[in-house]
Amino acid sequence: MAGMELLSDQGYRLDGRKATELRKVQARMGVFAQADGSAYLEQGNTKALAVVYGPHEMRGSRSRTLHDQAVINCQYSMATFSTAERKRRPHGDRKSTEMSLHLKQTFEAAVMTQLYPRSQIDIYVKILQSDGGNYSVCVNAATLAVIDAGIPMRDYVCACTVGFVDETPLADLCYAEEGGGVSSLALALLPRGGQIALLQMDARLHQDHLERLIEAAMTACKGVGKVLDEVVRQHLQEVSVLTSD
Amino acid sequence: MAADMRLPTIRKTVSLSVSAFDRKDLVVPGDVITSDTGFMRGHGTYVDEDKLTASVAGEVQRVDKLICVRPLKTRFNGEVGDVVVGRITEVQQKRWKVETNSRLDSVLLLSSVNLPGGELRRRSAEDELTMREYLQEGDLISAEVQSVFSDGALSLHTRSLKYGKLGQGVLVQLSPSLIKRQKTHFHNLPCGASIILGNNGFVWLYPTPGQQEEEAGGFYTSLEPVSLSDREVISRLRNCLLALAAHKVLLYDTSVLYCYESSLQHQVKDILKPEVMEEIVLLTQQKLLEQEG
Amino acid sequence: MLKSKTFVKKTRSGRVMKIVREHYLRDDIWCGSEACDECKQESTVLQQEACIESNLCSYPHYLIPDTNVVLHQIDVLGDPVIRNVIILQTVLQEVRHRSAPVYKRLKDIMHEKEKHFYTFTNEHHRETFIEREPGESANDRNDRAIRVAARWYSQHLKTPKSSTDGLKVVLLTNDQGNKQKAEDSGLLVYKCEEYIKSLIANPDLMDRLALSSDDKNEITSSKVLFPEHLPLSRIQTGIKSGSFLQGTFRASRDNYLEATVFVQGEGEDSTEVLIQGLQDLNRAVHQDVVAVQLLPRNQWVAPSSVVLQDEGTAKDDDIEEEEEEKVLRISAHEAARKPTGKVVGIIKRNWRPFCGMLNVSQIKESTRHLFTPADRRIPRIRIETRQASTLAGQRIMVAIDGWPKDSRYPNGHFVRSLGSAGEKDTEEEVLLLEHDVPHQAFSQAVLSFLPKMPWAITPEDMVRREDLRHLTVCSVDPPGCTDIDDALHCRDLENGNLEVGVHIADVSHFIRPGNALDKEAASRGTTVYLCGKRIDMVPELLSSNLCSLRSNVERLTFSCIWEMNHKAEILKTRFTKSVINSKASLTYAEAQMRIDDATKNDSITKSLRGLNKLAKILKRQRIEKGALTLSSMEVRFHMDSETHDPIDLQTKELMETNSMVEEFMLLANISVAQKIYDEFAECALLRKHPPPPPSNYDILLKAAKSKDVEIHTDSAKALADSLDVARVDGFPYFNTLLRILATRCMMQAVYFCSGMDSDFHHYGLASPIYTHFTSPIRRYADIIVHRLLAAAIGADSTYPDLMDKHKQSALCINLNYRHKMAQYAQRASVSFHTQLFFKNRGIVNEEGFVLFVRKNAIIVLIPKFGLEGTVFFDTKDKTAPNLVFDEEGPTLNVEQHTFHIFDKVKVTISLDDSNIQHQKIRMALIDPVIPGVSVPAPDIEPQAKKPKLD
Repeated sequence: MAGMELLSDQGYRLDGRKATELRKVQARMGVFAQADGSAYLEQGNTKALAVVYGPHEMRGSRSRTLHDQAVINCQYSMATFSTAERKRRPHGDRKSTEMSLHLKQTFEAAVMTQLYPRSQIDIYVKILQSDGGNYSVCVNAATLAVIDAGIPMRDYVCACTVGFVDETPLADLCYAEEGGGVSSLALALLPRGGQIALLQMDARLHQDHLERLIEAAMTACKGVGKVLDEVVRQHLQEVSVLTSD
Repeated sequence: MAADMRLPTIRKTVSLSVSAFDRKDLVVPGDVITSDTGFMRGHGTYVDEDKLTASVAGEVQRVDKLICVRPLKTRFNGEVGDVVVGRITEVQQKRWKVETNSRLDSVLLLSSVNLPGGELRRRSAEDELTMREYLQEGDLISAEVQSVFSDGALSLHTRSLKYGKLGQGVLVQLSPSLIKRQKTHFHNLPCGASIILGNNGFVWLYPTPGQQEEEAGGFYTSLEPVSLSDREVISRLRNCLLALAAHKVLLYDTSVLYCYESSLQHQVKDILKPEVMEEIVLLTQQKLLEQEG
Repeated sequence: MLKSKTFVKKTRSGRVMKIVREHYLRDDIWCGSEACDECKQESTVLQQEACIESNLCSYPHYLIPDTNVVLHQIDVLGDPVIRNVIILQTVLQEVRHRSAPVYKRLKDIMHEKEKHFYTFTNEHHRETFIEREPGESANDRNDRAIRVAARWYSQHLKTPKSSTDGLKVVLLTNDQGNKQKAEDSGLLVYKCEEYIKSLIANPDLMDRLALSSDDKNEITSSKVLFPEHLPLSRIQTGIKSGSFLQGTFRASRDNYLEATVFVQGEGEDSTEVLIQGLQDLNRAVHQDVVAVQLLPRNQWVAPSSVVLQDEGTAKDDDIEEEEEEKVLRISAHEAARKPTGKVVGIIKRNWRPFCGMLNVSQIKESTRHLFTPADRRIPRIRIETRQASTLAGQRIMVAIDGWPKDSRYPNGHFVRSLGSAGEKDTEEEVLLLEHDVPHQAFSQAVLSFLPKMPWAITPEDMVRREDLRHLTVCSVDPPGCTDIDDALHCRDLENGNLEVGVHIADVSHFIRPGNALDKEAASRGTTVYLCGKRIDMVPELLSSNLCSLRSNVERLTFSCIWEMNHKAEILKTRFTKSVINSKASLTYAEAQMRIDDATKNDSITKSLRGLNKLAKILKRQRIEKGALTLSSMEVRFHMDSETHDPIDLQTKELMETNSMVEEFMLLANISVAQKIYDEFAECALLRKHPPPPPSNYDILLKAAKSKDVEIHTDSAKALADSLDVARVDGFPYFNTLLRILATRCMMQAVYFCSGMDSDFHHYGLASPIYTHFTSPIRRYADIIVHRLLAAAIGADSTYPDLMDKHKQSALCINLNYRHKMAQYAQRASVSFHTQLFFKNRGIVNEEGFVLFVRKNAIIVLIPKFGLEGTVFFDTKDKTAPNLVFDEEGPTLNVEQHTFHIFDKVKVTISLDDSNIQHQKIRMALIDPVIPGVSVPAPDIEPQAKKPKLD
């Protein structure tokens, strides 16, 4: 194996992190005035913008209306300048459709849709810069946007990608690591209850490793959860200070 | 054309007083409010394993045994009697659908409007066919909430002369939580314009009508050109509203008026510059405090 | 804890690419020194009293070598004297890129506790990370990073109050510029040589110093002998454009001026490029990855059949070479010419330490000597040592440091001594080392995973195990076998059918996946049998005791049980883990006697007879399907029980019982292969034997034709049939000879992972699928197959690596390599013992057959000893006789006599120990008598020992 050494003997990764360390997460809520909810989130070099509209009346085909709960409509897209090679990304290609579907499933598990029958909630996420873990970053950004919109959720949804190298789970993979032949797993978690909202993996992995990998993913998600929690509380306080008087 | 270019500046963090950090009444989704089962579950909460848990980020409010969490920002939750400003999205049989920033479109029944020709006129099939002549898609109206349907949708009425179709003016869409509940939401501001502060966060600015002429059931719209001074006042008001909203100041006639007054030393177009905005809002807040004190 | 810094890089490679990278610089990377109380480290590696006695540095100090020092002086760093070394991450990464073997050794060294090597992750440290400056080359940046880290250390170690005696760091570099800059910034810096020379009481370390390029001018004349190697960038463009070819360099064993480069083409088609002559070989060493350029077609040559050895002395041997090269350039037939090329550059060196002997220079005071490796494919190496007189006559190891273009030989340095040459132990060590056979004693870590003695079967062991202790199981093995891994039984069933069981030692019960014992076994791959010595794959407790299915003890086994009818058709197959109690451990001969002895009628004998009957049917069926029965000469030595010297040798004889056991093992292997493949289509470990390409048969066909026998090679079946009927009257040995030749045409059977290959066929056994299941004590492949089978029948759980086809196929590569090496080692051992044997008995006359005909020699096989030897016709000291070589026959006309393949000749055999390194069996012709070539039959024959052989 002549490729890069993803994890050195001393336990450092390519970018200097240790196996369980996350990238730096920075986020801001309420970045758009016109949307119901919005958030911008950076996880290392991956940057995503999430916008939430709704709940509102069903738009488009009425036939999708559900009479006991709200419909969640997700759209994932990547900016043309988000990856190393500038590339026009047609709307609704296979990859982004799949990602949209994953996001939809994730949020259906967390948002209390039963409170809004016959309504629709739109979640639009755009990757502005991609450096691995796109799905996770989208979920984290969208969580903040949903909270910003005041839509009831059971809990945060925190997501993290983990990979498995040299018998060690690596948390929060960056692009170089994702490309380095690592079998990676994306997990979205409701951290407080520990329920899994979505688990996705398309690489081969022996079942003996799975448990450890999920364990690591959950720990990482909880770490992300803590950061998100801080962001939300900070935002809450800032806003409530302004409105309090 | 000269464009105003600005360099990025570091965002000022809002300095939080120590007390603000300790506020216990702020919760985020998943926070357990109480595990006491004696309380009643209100909006923004749910029960998870016998614990009352918040489902939105916001402020906890207790009314006797009822616990609610009021989110900072939310869609409009209409109550009977609320004044709303809305836009017609659809014309259906016997009713209009109105977008009022609530989670479902509101309904304006044909029977809930005053049609020209007297209040007690019978609604005929002919009226149903001419509905679009009264109000068509895209028209703005002011109305009052008549009732709330079981699914949360609002039923509106315009059975008063102050409600009805809106003519020339400017619509500003803000968060409903910023509108202060008052006896009246219609104000003729001394600065020379009128304002409808819809409870749903839609605010309508329009030139103060010259005389209270008898309108034809509120479906008549004047197409008279509006004078430049009026338009300037309206523009200034609009920017003031946005400035106040950006700083999360509650909106009611006094706050709008004070803000308007504070902004007079600036040009209309400058009001939205962050530093000017901040200055104006500070001034306004001071005036409000003085007035209260 | 975490300082982070993000930077965005833009590179331009045709198109504009946006590359975003992050680099977290940390402040929690500790210095690893005992003396430091600032760092919050849990364990320290570097000692406080870091003393290496040195003239230059009398104070305690840590060493920081730079990349080149590590790359070239790894042998010095590996010495136990050198301790407390800081290996910077920058250095480690560079080493990893540039040389895999050195990297591996460095890692091994770092793992040794008492060496106190510490890896400092300077690239992630907040204070030692540096960015590449504009205009700075990557190398310069790395050098600077090393200096920055060194300075950080020297300042960091100054602060602790505790060590007022001043721990210092010493930077070792051989780069003049780097040294200068380091000195300027106030660092302690020495050249590696300076430092090593200054060490007190370690003069022999000097010998291990690699010769750095600075010294080369002193050593050799300034005459440029070789063309310059092209830089890597040009090689790469050349390969891309197709003007160069990349391949593995394989030196010829017989001719030091000839080599082939094996070019792996796309898919199946790979070609070989012939290289001839020193100039064209251009300093490539066996196993290097090289770039070659094809010569124009009119300069293509044919591989010479000449046997040439580099006999030149250390001095100027140009003249001689020219002559030798001339010998090569004999014009060959147009058809015989092969693509010929020349080496233009080396892509990757594949040097390892070589075993061999020192040719002590004639000049007494000289410290430079020539070293002759034991492997003939490796050129001789010039080394510098002061202990030449002690090393003379010893087997030593030497590593190559470089091969400057003005030097006839590569430069190297002494690594270690193995013992005096010619001694059995030394020679065995040499052949193990040369064949890369791991033969150290098992480490404590490995042994700790052995079951505790006394061992007994516990009830837990019986879960999921069938109790077969009541069955009459027996084992049949060669005499003296202590690692019995298979046992058999056969009994009549009530329904008239037969139940046959093969019981294989359940080694996988004792060797659990992933532990040290397992890893060691996986790395060893196979047990290596040398004459009179066995290099075990698993520790003896397992191989000769717990896993050995000895008689009258209870043993855990993995059984494959068939229900067969009397026509040997399999009606039912099942696999189970079991417990057996063998009733008898027989040798082949004993088993044969029992079968033949009509008076015996006990259950063991009955069982054996049943087995034997079925085995005959099975064998017939197999041969009908086209399985080959090939032949190779195997010899056994009778060893003197005290000196372990061979006193007699005999060829192995085959009995019916041999083939009886073999048949059932084959059957078990095939059944298991099918089962594990059905269950794990992606990751079954199987064994295949690819059919040889038709050209391989040329030699066989020619040989057969010379005796007017026709051989068909269209299919295995055709080959088997035609071999069966190939007989020549009055030449009973002909068939065996043909089979020996046919064996040489075959390809190697290899292990592979079913998920990585689509062709499973086993040519030799004519089976569509095959694996190894029956010898887990001595083959690691069988252990894996056991585990797979156990998982397939639910007797054991899987584990990750077992299901990973990439890891599986990496394992296969190692196993194939170890197997090949084990075979070579075995052969080498046999030939060494043959030499010992002939050394003891002097000159012998024997009859033999010509096996191959070469341009200047014939290769003769002596059936009695299974010995092959070369009879040269053009010895150096004599005038060469008139030789005419005919490619077609192939025949060789020496004076008046023509040699054909299969000719019967009489030769004398003697040991030629003129060259102690390559002692060889010398054969000289007695009959046919060719004046000036053949030798008279020696008068004295060692009558005393002769009878034993007959």
